[in-house]
Amino acid sequence: MLKQLLIEINNADYVSMLNLAGKLDRPVSLVEEGFAELVRLGYLAEDAGSNCYDLPCGKCPYASLCQKEPLKTWTITKKGRALLEGYQAAV
Amino acid sequence: MSMTIALVGNPNSGKTTLFNALTGANQHVGNWPGVTVERKEGQTRYKNQVYTVVDLPGTYSLGAFSEDEVVAREFILTGNPDVVINVVDATNIERNLYLTTQLLEMGAKVVVALNMVDEAEAREISVDEKALTKRLGIPVIPTVASRRRGMDELMEAATAVMYAPLNGHARLSYGESIDRKIAELKNLLTKEDFAYPPGWLALKLLEGDAYAQSVVDQSQTLQGSPAYGRFWNEVAAHAEDYQLEIVDSRYKFVGEITKDTVRRPKVAVQTTTDRVDRVLTHKYWGMPIFAVIMFIVFQLTFVIGEDLLGEVMVTGVDYIGEVFESLLLAVHAPQWLIDFTANGIVAGVGAVIEFVPLIVILYMLMGFLEDSGYMARAAYVMDNTMRLVGLQGKTFISMIVGFGCNVPGVMATRTLESKKDRMIAILINPFMSCGAKIPIYLVFIAAFFPSHGGLILFSVYALGIAIAFLMGKIFSKTLFKGESSHFIMELPPYRKPTLRNVLRNMWDNVSGFLTRAGTTIFAVVSLLWVLAVLPAGVEPYGAESILGRIGLLIAPIFKPAGFGSWQAAVGLFSGIAAKEAVVATLGMVYAGVEAGTELVAAIREVFTPLTAVSFMVMTLLYTPCAATLGTIRKETGSTKWALFSAVYTFTIAWVLAVFIFQVGSLLGFS
Repeated sequence: MLKQLLIEINNADYVSMLNLAGKLDRPVSLVEEGFAELVRLGYLAEDAGSNCYDLPCGKCPYASLCQKEPLKTWTITKKGRALLEGYQAAV
Repeated sequence: MSMTIALVGNPNSGKTTLFNALTGANQHVGNWPGVTVERKEGQTRYKNQVYTVVDLPGTYSLGAFSEDEVVAREFILTGNPDVVINVVDATNIERNLYLTTQLLEMGAKVVVALNMVDEAEAREISVDEKALTKRLGIPVIPTVASRRRGMDELMEAATAVMYAPLNGHARLSYGESIDRKIAELKNLLTKEDFAYPPGWLALKLLEGDAYAQSVVDQSQTLQGSPAYGRFWNEVAAHAEDYQLEIVDSRYKFVGEITKDTVRRPKVAVQTTTDRVDRVLTHKYWGMPIFAVIMFIVFQLTFVIGEDLLGEVMVTGVDYIGEVFESLLLAVHAPQWLIDFTANGIVAGVGAVIEFVPLIVILYMLMGFLEDSGYMARAAYVMDNTMRLVGLQGKTFISMIVGFGCNVPGVMATRTLESKKDRMIAILINPFMSCGAKIPIYLVFIAAFFPSHGGLILFSVYALGIAIAFLMGKIFSKTLFKGESSHFIMELPPYRKPTLRNVLRNMWDNVSGFLTRAGTTIFAVVSLLWVLAVLPAGVEPYGAESILGRIGLLIAPIFKPAGFGSWQAAVGLFSGIAAKEAVVATLGMVYAGVEAGTELVAAIREVFTPLTAVSFMVMTLLYTPCAATLGTIRKETGSTKWALFSAVYTFTIAWVLAVFIFQVGSLLGFS
């Protein structure tokens, strides 16, 4: 499933856990675990997108204007790219 | 000595709630040796026997990826717990069971606490715990830790497992080839006396676990064994495949055991979110739709903010000013204090406050878009355009943040992995029109374009984005060359914004702006007022004051752009301290010239529609405020880049403002 998941992620422009679960015929929560495992194994890099990091929002007068729910993004790492290339070469 | 129960589970599985339910007040907190991970331990009593309960760190896996994982697995393998209670979130069971499979691999005595079954029932998720018990070969006990439901049954099962020999566990198969390799490796490992079970160690070695590898590397016996060397050389060539196959086998196992034991309501793969997204994130329509939505936001801002609330605020500020003046006159306050209050604070800070309704409405509408999940789509829609101009799509996320304030906008660029992408994102962020600049546009719109407010404000924002794109393209072709990395983002489902959230945002915005007006703007206005009335003996607010002289000194720079008055010059100058100070300064210097003069009316006397546009473009693009420059310096680690940002933004702003004025004049606009 992991390799398939990485291929689907690579082909997608954006991530919908539900869509991926449908395509892979697995429960959504297992697809979420798959993402986490790909990150753990170094095939994906995840960024939870925290805006201000060490800046405490409470002291910022524009805190309420900020993006409240940072976007979660992933980048396929060099290791992930190599795996995909290896798979494509084999196919 | 009491028997030990270890609690392990995913984050948010209710593990700590269960720990509290078991131990009550009998607990203490410390740290695991050598790491900063918190260690919680407590006592529980069951059938007159005291048990020690250790709450292990929440983790999704038992690899060597994080300190939490290592601490949890070390305790299970070498801390000799008599039983492990694996807390599993019933609403997210498949993901949680991934951890269970790893506990089974360790050969630990495990009991599953199937927690939050009430929430699962509410979501129409049913779990056949008896069938699951059979498939896993370990007890599965339904619990609701928050209500202490199932605690006795859990302790009954845990103590039964604790005192019984280990048997009946489900065994995972990783495929014939890997199973054989594990068996071979296990045989080799049994030659050394490791602190870990040889079967588990063999599995971890094939999985490429760095910690397991370091343990085996210390064994002289194995390192000197030709059989081990041959075996390892053979395995190393397929290490990545083994790793992926082992993980996949666990998923397969979880998939198989939950297939007929877990029932969920059917969810359509094609959801409403997907159908709406097909339109809103369309390759060609996505951008125009985004532009139309933003245009509607700006139009609504003026309809609601200006037409309905604008007059109320102006009257309110005037009233407060009159009350203060009367009070000061009544107590025979010195003339300078009356002057400072009426012409300094009320005229300056009041000029900013008068526009609070519009700003609040604008950000309320933006907040509405964000709460609905649309702003994530905007970032996605912009991604393609960003890539066309050589920018990383994620840059737009930091740009959206910059619409609020450039300080967090610049900080948000930390999410960009490559230095090239990050530097460009930092340098173009100040072109995003922050909230503090809005009062400037609003003053000029009110003075010259009252019936086209939405269109003008929309154009200003669009111009900022366009200049940011243009400069991004130039930077990516000159100063920071290289490929931008591709990224994938998660689009959250659409949500209905709640009234509570909308009202909360409005309050946050009002209090945020009033706090800012009462602190930074107050301080800047006070300083400028002093400069406007000194040296003693000169006409206050006149060209001979210190402020006037500063203005006269820099005013010629702006003459080719059509606004070469010293008042406009000091307004821009003060904007480097904080952008709201531009309006505050204009309010003060014009109110000071003729007491009671309304800023909008004064602006109409001094500017023309053409110079108003030129001035708005200048304020949109010129040198960022001091806080943003400081952040750029901090984030780039270089004063040089902060200075570069200050100078290049000013140059672009000046060139464009001059271009607008000169070309406009040639075309006969005034």
